[in-house]
Amino acid sequence: MENAFKISSSPHVRDKKTTTGIMLDVVIALIPAAVFGVINFGLNALMIILTCIVSCVFFEWLSQVVLKRKTTISDMSAVVTGLLLALNLSPCVPIWMAILGSAFAIVIVKQLFGGLGYNFMNPALGARCFLLISFAGQMTSFTYDGITTATPLAILKNGGTVNVTDMFFGNIAGTIGETSVICILAGAVFLVARKIIKVTIPFVYIGTFAICIMIYALASGRGFDLSYLAAHLCGGGLMLGAFFMATDYVTSPITPNGKIVFGIILGVLTFLFRIYGGSAEGVSYAIIFSNLLVPLIERFTQPKSFGYGADVKDGESNSGSRSRMNVRSIVIATVAIFVITIIAGLALAYVQKITKKPIEDANQKAKEEAYKEVYAAADSFDVMEINYEDAKNYLADNGYKCDIEEIVIAKDDTGNDIGYVLVINSHEGYNGYMQIAMGVDLDGTTTGISFLSLSETAGLGMEADKDSFKSQFADKNVEQFEYTKQGATADNEIDALSGATITTSGVVNAVNAGLSYVNYMRGGN
Amino acid sequence: MGLLTFAGGIHPYEGKELSMDMPIKEYLPKGDCVYPLSQHIGAPATPIVKKGDRVLVGQKIAEAAGFVSANIHSSISGTVKTIEPRLTTGGTKVNSIVIENDGLFEEVNFAEKVMDLSALYTEDIREIIKEAGIVGMGGAGFPANVKLTPKNEADIDYIIVNGAECEPYLTSDYRRLMEEADKIIQGLTICINMFDHAKGIIAIEDNKPEAIKLLREKLAGNDKIKVNEIKTKYPQGAERQLIYANTGRYVNSKMLPADAGCIVHNVDTIHAIYEAVIEGRPLINRVVTITGDAIEKPCNLLVRTGTNLNEIIEAAGGFKDGIMPEKIVAGGPMMGRAIYSLDVPAVKGLSALLCMSHDEVAALEPSNCIRCGRCVDVCPGRVVPSMLAKYAEHGDIDNFLKHEGMECCECGCCSYICPAKRHLTQTIAGTRKLILANKKK
Repeated sequence: MENAFKISSSPHVRDKKTTTGIMLDVVIALIPAAVFGVINFGLNALMIILTCIVSCVFFEWLSQVVLKRKTTISDMSAVVTGLLLALNLSPCVPIWMAILGSAFAIVIVKQLFGGLGYNFMNPALGARCFLLISFAGQMTSFTYDGITTATPLAILKNGGTVNVTDMFFGNIAGTIGETSVICILAGAVFLVARKIIKVTIPFVYIGTFAICIMIYALASGRGFDLSYLAAHLCGGGLMLGAFFMATDYVTSPITPNGKIVFGIILGVLTFLFRIYGGSAEGVSYAIIFSNLLVPLIERFTQPKSFGYGADVKDGESNSGSRSRMNVRSIVIATVAIFVITIIAGLALAYVQKITKKPIEDANQKAKEEAYKEVYAAADSFDVMEINYEDAKNYLADNGYKCDIEEIVIAKDDTGNDIGYVLVINSHEGYNGYMQIAMGVDLDGTTTGISFLSLSETAGLGMEADKDSFKSQFADKNVEQFEYTKQGATADNEIDALSGATITTSGVVNAVNAGLSYVNYMRGGN
Repeated sequence: MGLLTFAGGIHPYEGKELSMDMPIKEYLPKGDCVYPLSQHIGAPATPIVKKGDRVLVGQKIAEAAGFVSANIHSSISGTVKTIEPRLTTGGTKVNSIVIENDGLFEEVNFAEKVMDLSALYTEDIREIIKEAGIVGMGGAGFPANVKLTPKNEADIDYIIVNGAECEPYLTSDYRRLMEEADKIIQGLTICINMFDHAKGIIAIEDNKPEAIKLLREKLAGNDKIKVNEIKTKYPQGAERQLIYANTGRYVNSKMLPADAGCIVHNVDTIHAIYEAVIEGRPLINRVVTITGDAIEKPCNLLVRTGTNLNEIIEAAGGFKDGIMPEKIVAGGPMMGRAIYSLDVPAVKGLSALLCMSHDEVAALEPSNCIRCGRCVDVCPGRVVPSMLAKYAEHGDIDNFLKHEGMECCECGCCSYICPAKRHLTQTIAGTRKLILANKKK
């Protein structure tokens, strides 16, 4: 017989686009933001990105093996999740946290609910929010140019002013991938051009958010403040969220009208979280919460089929426009979804607010303990207002390569000022960043030093954290310290750590910078 | 103003360049011809010849068994060999009349049947069309006379000639339009005149500009018939989408086109109506596009019904380099049927034989739906195919119906576009058939 022909149901041709191809396009679109993140935040950011990608793929493979599913890591979806997660993390988070987040994203959010296409919320954002709740401190500590600093949104929220141009290009603190609006938009344009995403959700989302912000600005007396609006649009995760996470196929409505409703809800929630919530950022929570509403939204936004109702002769036959639901049920559905949105939005904002205080208290306590360590004689500490810009200039002018994070005034039990505690950021460690706390009394005597952050070589530079090294600074009234390799003989001489001259020099320079600034601050030269 | 069209649809590779410039050539069968008794929608025809009978070209050999059914005529002269179940392009065995070809092609006297057009009433024309065994030649095979018998004749506003030919690769309608435009116009005029105030529309996709130009020239000054240039997009030629594009009227699955005042006929059907009314010839041949990358010389052949497909392939120069194709489709790639044997006869609804050296679909593994919504975007029926397919897989008939599953026209756009390569059309079509079958019980 010659019946060797293959048989299958029509259609017998298929479009070239595949799931893998789509995922690959998303990865390509994220590359500008990722590359910018690495340039902006250094190799640590690259490490986090690679860790997230590798561990997401690994956990996808592992859970599919354990759950006896077909291994689908070649579809690239885990790579997208890993990349998105990394871009949503602070460049300062430790590697283990990136791995933990990846595991949560893939195992809990994605695979346990059925794998690709069945996750109920965006895996990367689910993991980010999980990490945010679990490790609020590290997840919200951001550095820029090596200096720990607040994100523009946080500054904005506390009433400060921000540079919108820097925000647009990304020269600001934030998560690895969210800072550069222009890089994100470049990726978004690519996705739209490749027809991977439609602009409906991002445009409605950003539009609704912008309207809410403008109404708020007008109502709160700011007036028609376009720079405030621009700062909100460029700040935080809005652009990354709107173009890359809100458009996630699996967790956004499939119906055309549903996409519009989804965008509006996102805009309103983001607004509520940002303005009324405890944290300055609200995009992640807004998206994962809206993800949960998707089945409901889809139910109410089923499209009308072609010619729906055309068979019903109601005087105007053939209009094809008889609506599928009556007006009443549409109104009820819309009101229901919005009431849920507003209540949930305010509730979440409130919860953020009440959890914010304990978190801040805990941070404050940890700080006070560190102050106590370097200034044992003090009973309480008061934050001191100084001109950080001026301090930075002074230190730079005097050749110091460090800056002041914070200065507090030390008080005795009767409330009299007895000295200062300075927190100094230095980049002169062998491995770069060190944060040092030092106490100085009113006479200029160093009361002690300690490290808030130190990541030098174990056995060499790390020896700096030993009391035998630190105590050399304590209770010395000298103008400047020096280090020596010949054995300290004078008060101002510090024994260099064996095999860690760079660390020693860095610490000495930082302490000298502190001493010098105190002297300058108190009117000396 | 943009071109006339509908929302949704896809743009697959057209493949028309292979055969669109090949003039129609007649091919006369050499071997026996097989006439399945069911080449149309409705009841199978009843044989009126028996084994050993001598038949002529054009002689009626089976008679319509009911209102929705169609006559079948012999396309050759010879002797009835047997009446037995034979394999068809549909893949099933259908009771068929087999006629041994004597190679003489001796015809019945067609001219004798021709009547003066001006003396004919609507009812007479319907009878001629019915007698000629004309069915929808776009593939569905709905008896043409039934289409032309609407409940309310006064409601018919438009007779639309479907020259969209939106299925990739197909060029048979295009060749008919190019080579026999006058007959198409005359056939359409016959149909229009059956109704009081009907107007004619010849709808042609804009990828056939020469056909549009030619017909517009020929129709200059004719205020009854206009030529509409419609957008090249699949499934532009689907009946409901075609009606919408040309008239702005909606037809859903519960309606017939006549309920929206329209009757749609394929180009070849209109041609057959012309031949039946003017020349007295029953439907015994049709234009078939033999194409695909596995064909030596893609072409458009005027093929007699009943001709063995092996002969037709041979007439097109055989397979390229003598290599068997992986897949052969009767019809276009979007809605045609894959056939597993060429030892089947050409039928009235066979528009093309598409021979593919490589079956791209066979290697594709469906993966999870990623809810990208592409199926929703392309669906001309404006339903949510991914959701319907899910209900279909779960056997959830209630939700399938609630979400307008019956509005699917099985055009294949969702399966075509799906990046996860899911069998959406196939799944939905299966459930639709089940529901329709249960309804009939």
